[in-house]
Amino acid sequence: MLDIKRDNKKGSIKKFLKWFFIRQESSIIIVLVLYSLIVTLVNPVFISTANVINILRSTGFTLIMVVGMTFVLITAGLDLSVGAVFALGAIICGLSMQAGIPIILSILLGMLSGLVIGIFIGTVIVKTGIPPLIVTLGMMYVCRGLVSIITKGVPVYPLPEQFMLIEQTKIFNSLPVIILISVAIAVIGHIILSKTVFGRSVYAIGGNEEAAKISGINITKVKMAVYIMTSTLAAISGILMSSRLGSAEPAAGTGIELKVIAGSIIGGISTFGGMGTILGASLGALFMEVMTNSLTLMKVSVYWQNLVFGVILIASVLLDQYKRRLIIRQSVKAKD
Amino acid sequence: MKEKRVILSVENITKRFLGTVALNKVSMELRENEILAVIGENGAGKSTLMKILSGIYSSKEYEGNIYVNNKLCQFRNPHDSENAGIAMIYQELNLELDLTVAENILLGRYPRTKLGFVDWKKMRKMAKEVLERLHANIDVNATVRSLSPSMQQLVCIARALLRNPKILILDEPTSVLTENETKVFMNLLHEMKEQGISCIYISHKLDEVFQLCDRVIVLRDGQLICEYEKKHGYDSKSIINSMIGRRLDVMYPQIEKKEDDTELLRIENFRVPHTSAYGKSIIKDVSFSIKKGEILGLAGLVGSGRSELVNAIFGLLPKTSGRIYMEGREAKINNPEDAIKLGIGLLTEDRKKNGYVWSMSIEHNMTLAILRELRKGIFIDSKKEQEIAKEYFTKLNVKAPGIKTLITSLSGGNQQKVILARWLMTKLKLLILDEPTRGIDVGTKAEIYKLMVDLSKSGISILMISSELPELLAMCDRFIVLGKGVVQAELERGEANEVNIMQAASNT
Repeated sequence: MLDIKRDNKKGSIKKFLKWFFIRQESSIIIVLVLYSLIVTLVNPVFISTANVINILRSTGFTLIMVVGMTFVLITAGLDLSVGAVFALGAIICGLSMQAGIPIILSILLGMLSGLVIGIFIGTVIVKTGIPPLIVTLGMMYVCRGLVSIITKGVPVYPLPEQFMLIEQTKIFNSLPVIILISVAIAVIGHIILSKTVFGRSVYAIGGNEEAAKISGINITKVKMAVYIMTSTLAAISGILMSSRLGSAEPAAGTGIELKVIAGSIIGGISTFGGMGTILGASLGALFMEVMTNSLTLMKVSVYWQNLVFGVILIASVLLDQYKRRLIIRQSVKAKD
Repeated sequence: MKEKRVILSVENITKRFLGTVALNKVSMELRENEILAVIGENGAGKSTLMKILSGIYSSKEYEGNIYVNNKLCQFRNPHDSENAGIAMIYQELNLELDLTVAENILLGRYPRTKLGFVDWKKMRKMAKEVLERLHANIDVNATVRSLSPSMQQLVCIARALLRNPKILILDEPTSVLTENETKVFMNLLHEMKEQGISCIYISHKLDEVFQLCDRVIVLRDGQLICEYEKKHGYDSKSIINSMIGRRLDVMYPQIEKKEDDTELLRIENFRVPHTSAYGKSIIKDVSFSIKKGEILGLAGLVGSGRSELVNAIFGLLPKTSGRIYMEGREAKINNPEDAIKLGIGLLTEDRKKNGYVWSMSIEHNMTLAILRELRKGIFIDSKKEQEIAKEYFTKLNVKAPGIKTLITSLSGGNQQKVILARWLMTKLKLLILDEPTRGIDVGTKAEIYKLMVDLSKSGISILMISSELPELLAMCDRFIVLGKGVVQAELERGEANEVNIMQAASNT
């Protein structure tokens, strides 16, 4: 009797492990938990409320962009211009406020700049067939150039007090509002990606664009939409950052596009398109922030951080490949 | 006549995949100057056996022994197998499309000059020589992309011949060839046999196998079922029975004469540009019509523009000119979306390239064309989606653990059923089938034929392209033969036969 029970329990644990391992997010969850455990052992400060909130707050800015990037990557695309749009959105918003335009309207103008860039990127990619890598690399320079021309390299500040209150407001006296905003955006992104026709089309295009087209999916529309979304979200993130700093910096977001892309990939988004989830990518974004934070806490020199990031990026893709092979092997078994 | 020498023998090969047995104690022999056919349904273990012979699975991964010329061989990788004199030609041609013919033939073994640079002159000469052995008149400087599929096939064979193999393994070599090209190809194999090369020939096309092969072995469920010899004569019925393990009296279902004479679709003066040659038209001036519930066969050689024509009708390729009338009214089809709205579905020639979405499950692949109808508010109604997917999963008898299974883990026939289900779910009026049974096992073929008849009975019209003439002749009510960009002949069911269709298609 007892033996049978134990067997059942063993079976269900095994079943759970199998279910867990096959899920796309499993690798990142395992890595994140193990890593956090190690860091906590080295320096318990890591797990303190203040530090956790600090990590989540910094994650918020990348997370907003990761949501857009996830859509782009799943269609087998790429957007390198998010960092530059991040700066451009903030500058446009900041200058509008300085020109006396109401705060809400200024924010909308900042978002609009992102939207316009997105429309441009999407149109060029869809109409000309130039690879997204080239188009968005070009747009990265164009946007950085625009920022330099507009600001002449001088930060836009001071910004109105009320504007600064947006990011600096704390809910329940401790939770910065950026955490809520970014999580809300991620949840909405998750719902769109997993439950709507649009989301399904995104997966289909990434998996097999021609098959998607033959099945009546409007490739042009969907591709346009993902680039517009990503650019707009990048602008929003930039505006929030300027609200946090109280200044719109021309050099803001330099190199952040790589962090966003790396986070998404670590979170299990396939670079070939067609696979990945917002949850995985969000955890990837969190992991990037955890790394930066923990290396500082463990007193690892800043000079080492990039090296560690690089190694982790490659390792996570390797782990993902291994897992995928396992899944395929299992389905081969099912076939015979 | 004395028994020929055995050059390759396989003893008690067993190969397991995570608990399931793909090959179970298979033993076979290949003799000198022999063409041996290995046949069986998809999943019977043919490909696994060939992968073992060509060294893709290393000797550690299976049980049993392989002897080449009575010498025990343990292949660690494809290279070892090549060195033992075994060359394999895969079903999917693995050519570098943008390299030249010569570069492709000598890939991996470019001749070098004394300074270590590539010796282009020698390379072209070597390529030319080996192509001459194949009687292939192909420009060695042309890029492979510009060649027809049959020429590409020859390039593959030339590449294999360059390694001077004693044993040549061919996996479905004629699946991209037309009837005429197949004949030339078969003569070639005979010639190579005379030159002392033994072949293992894998094919679904029994008529070819009967003509070509000296011996046939049948695999089923990983086991060797039986062996037939040409000198004793082949009996196709008993061979098919041993392949599928059950009686299959009538392969093609009975087709009844249709009463309905209403016209469903008419196309007028279609002109379609060539996809690779700029400024040329592959279809010059084609008009025809399909009645309701009719199965219309589109015949023609490979390269006659059959696929291009149907792709243009479906809105996938742009057309230079032409009108489409659907149920008497002129219709504008600029993209597949428009075509689907009108009730047209297209099963493409190449499942992997533009049929299924590899990253998706059976369910999601099935519902891809009806996502709009599954909408509930802004979301996909997942309950309804599952219901309809399950319904067609059962209806079409898809063999898989469930609707959540990834499509890539299915056999070709079952993948085809999933894509068929995708179109059956739409408000279908006309189904275009482009080579619907290519690379599919006999059992599934029969199921697809039966489905076609059922569809036509329910008033759905079918436009079918097939390079297998017997199949086309058995299934269609009427035939349009394309050649040189125009309709060469239009034949009724009673008057059409292989001879007059081939004559019309190759009208010179």
